[in-house]
Amino acid sequence: MDIFVLVKQVPDPEATIRIKTDTELEIENKYFTNFFDEIAIEAALRLKEKFGGKVTVLTVDHRRVDALRRGISMGADEAVQIADPALEGSDPFAIARILTAYLKDKPFDLILAGRQAMDDDSGIVGIALAEALNIPHVHSIIGLEVDPSKKEAKVIREVENGKEHLTCPLPALFTCQKGLNTPRIPLVMNVMKAMKAQIKKVDSASLGMEPNKVGSSSLQVKVLRYLPPPKRPPVKMIKEDYPENVKILVRLLREEAKVL
Amino acid sequence: MALDFTFTEEQEFFRQTIRDTVNRMIMPRVKELDEKEEFPWDLWREFAALGYLGLRHEEKYGGMGTDTITQMIFYEELARGSCGFFMSVTMQILMGTYFIGRFGNEEIKQRILVPAIKGEKIGTICFTEDQSGSDLAGTRTLATKVDGGWRINGRKQWITNGPIADFATVMATVDPKLGLKGLNFFLVERKTKDRDGFVSGQRLHKLGSRCSVTGELVFDNVFIPDENFLGEEIGKGVQYAGEILNEVRVMTGMSALAIAREAMEDARQYANNRIAFGNPISKYQLIREKFAKFWAWYEAARTFLYKCAWMIQNNIPCINECMLAKYHATEMCMYAVEEAMRIYGGNAFCTEYPVQRYWRDAKFLLYGGGTHEVLCDYLGRVYCKG
Amino acid sequence: MAKEIWVLAEHQEGKVKGITFELLSGSIEFSKQTGQKVAAILLGSGLEEATKSLIPFADKIYLLENPLLSPYTSDAYESALLPLLKEHEPSIFLGGATSTGKDLFPRLAMHLETGYAPDCTELSVNEEGRLTIKRPLFGGKVFAEMVFSEARPQMATVRNHTFLIRENPGRSAEVLPIPTRLDPSSLKKRVIHLEKSPGARLDITEADIVVAAGRGIKGPENFKLIEDLAEVLNASVGTTRAVVDEGWRDLKDQIGKSGKNISARLYMAFGISGAIHHILGIGTCKTIVAVDTDPNALIFNYADYGIVGDLFKIVPALTEELKRVLAS
Repeated sequence: MDIFVLVKQVPDPEATIRIKTDTELEIENKYFTNFFDEIAIEAALRLKEKFGGKVTVLTVDHRRVDALRRGISMGADEAVQIADPALEGSDPFAIARILTAYLKDKPFDLILAGRQAMDDDSGIVGIALAEALNIPHVHSIIGLEVDPSKKEAKVIREVENGKEHLTCPLPALFTCQKGLNTPRIPLVMNVMKAMKAQIKKVDSASLGMEPNKVGSSSLQVKVLRYLPPPKRPPVKMIKEDYPENVKILVRLLREEAKVL
Repeated sequence: MALDFTFTEEQEFFRQTIRDTVNRMIMPRVKELDEKEEFPWDLWREFAALGYLGLRHEEKYGGMGTDTITQMIFYEELARGSCGFFMSVTMQILMGTYFIGRFGNEEIKQRILVPAIKGEKIGTICFTEDQSGSDLAGTRTLATKVDGGWRINGRKQWITNGPIADFATVMATVDPKLGLKGLNFFLVERKTKDRDGFVSGQRLHKLGSRCSVTGELVFDNVFIPDENFLGEEIGKGVQYAGEILNEVRVMTGMSALAIAREAMEDARQYANNRIAFGNPISKYQLIREKFAKFWAWYEAARTFLYKCAWMIQNNIPCINECMLAKYHATEMCMYAVEEAMRIYGGNAFCTEYPVQRYWRDAKFLLYGGGTHEVLCDYLGRVYCKG
Repeated sequence: MAKEIWVLAEHQEGKVKGITFELLSGSIEFSKQTGQKVAAILLGSGLEEATKSLIPFADKIYLLENPLLSPYTSDAYESALLPLLKEHEPSIFLGGATSTGKDLFPRLAMHLETGYAPDCTELSVNEEGRLTIKRPLFGGKVFAEMVFSEARPQMATVRNHTFLIRENPGRSAEVLPIPTRLDPSSLKKRVIHLEKSPGARLDITEADIVVAAGRGIKGPENFKLIEDLAEVLNASVGTTRAVVDEGWRDLKDQIGKSGKNISARLYMAFGISGAIHHILGIGTCKTIVAVDTDPNALIFNYADYGIVGDLFKIVPALTEELKRVLAS
């Protein structure tokens, strides 16, 4: 099984995000490998351990390669960084176009990605890539079994009223959701290996990307301005004793908030 | 560029990895580890399986052979979790196996170091006795030369991992009259039915760092063979002690950094949310000053400690620097945990809030690696001599 | 201005989902400004009841019936929708930020090379029909106000409860059956079966009211208290990451950054201290009630109503009080 895993280094949930100007954010320098991407890496490694083959982690980021190193430290065989300042400001669709250009003539059985990246929370790149590569995808999987001889996968995905069981021929792309597995903690030996790992760098020009297909000039939805989250009114603490406080709460919910 | 304070991208990656490992493996259990006051065997085995216990040993024994700065990054991140677990782990990585890795013969390394790195055998080092701690010249544990080996007699106190240790590096004197010049290190194993060795004495119950088990080891005319003498020649023990203590002191300083930062980050969150007189208490100047002082001392302590790590790594003599940096970082930590307690007000006094645990854990740092009174006396004397 | 506003109609067991009526209600509001027609796009088979319920909410219903469109797969929906989208070139195409919407829309947008904004929490149009949206980033720490460029359709998926369902939508849709031929061999994915969640409760992302408990509930057996309260309120039951990680509740009920973002009209949190992971998942709820024993719990900073108290006393009393009040 040859598997590509799309990974990204994203701001830690604890990182402070400040609005610097209307269209510029200042992000505290606390990053980690996207939570869902680690689940994807783990899924790929388990398939490799079962069926053999190769796991390649792939990122589009000209600054941060830690997600690739994380992949290597968990056990991935190769790491590829698509890096080019011209890609700055690309939206998920442009990222998908770049990945398409890189992957279109590479052999693979499976592409795995996280359900979404914990920065813009879009959940677009993987699915759009599947569209461009003209392969099927399943979004947000919580179960995965592969039959390499039949070139088919059985997957489970979460839907609102339950769990949907599907079959899907390979090659395919799946985005991974919490519940699929618990990502391993890397062995220190592999951490050391990852620290020294050679990371293959690819620039977008070598992929034949037209400049207007990537970067901020390709955006179809543009940020007008960033806004702080809507302010909530100050909390009203109900200080009366029990059980009076319960009665007051119900009255407020009915008469003031009008939600009952 | 002669002066460079940056960590490399690789070192930052290493730090992040350790942080993540600590967050996943240790953080969720910190409270439980403190309350149970038992050695966490399951956590120990999980942690050992990842290979961290071999951080500073040679690769041919299963180690990773990392440099000092990498080790210090590891210590700084590990100490964020459970301070007790940190003590057990660092005892195994550093003090408990240092002399075996340095002076043990091949047979000893295969038999003891290799399983120690796998976490299968537990090691410790024994300095302290009931009448001597920071005063090493007062060591009473006696090593007597006999045919084919040595006989060890004495009792060692305050031994981290002692109650569960399989082997110990023991500081003993060949002649109490020689003072510091009589000190040497010996490898002694636990007594079994086919081997002479030490037995456990009383276990201690501590204010903090409670999941590392600590107690007394008793050496009752224990015979050890010649190859268990750890050193090049008799009488160099005190010099070796100085060398390992450099690393131990910087490592202890790293835990001071970690505890101080955890305490103050919690306190910051608390101060930003706790309302008094209509404002979050972080709006009040007396509270803000605590953070400012902490911040200044913390940054200074961290820079100094990493300078010491760099000096050790580059074989630059730094006994005084390491003492100064450990002293400074620990006092900074005492300030941080004390002020964090005050920021929490009465809530600091409840075990529901972790701030009291930082305070309890931190207190040990005052004694580990030499009491501050002894350190300061020495450092003051060195300084006045000029 | 002739181009239409389209809404993807989602349905389950023949019934159209609340999110679809919400989106149509919002679209009717937009159409008053732009003069555009509002169309519901309904795919599947056996759609009589669904069609009927949509009539008052749209000017047109494009009805795409084919057994291969039921149950939903992105393959079949995409094959059926692309020709229709290319033919009509709607101005706006909205869907729910649901397991269907989030699965389907990125593929369509990639194919059509048009703009798509996922997970929107606010939408408006100007007189030219240009769409502006707001959506949370970084789990809700920041919001982005975004505007679409020239490409059409302007595609967006929208969170539950962003729009209110109009009581008198006042439209009467013309039903337009669209002949839909699908080649089964071109459809790659197959749904084998749907393992339905036990109980009849809505998913926490869909429910109007969500009640949740955190680790303060002390054990899985105590969730009975929360279930009883949910019963009275016809609410769904949510929880925190810590509880899911303990294995006390199913992952599908987890609110927060690694779980689900909810936009309930009323959210009640019991014994939840308010870790940032959790707070980020409830940011767009309308009214938040928090009950916790710790007066300094972070959750109170985000709540509208707070009680410092023991959930084991408060929850049963609240259940009884609500029973009494709602019965009268």
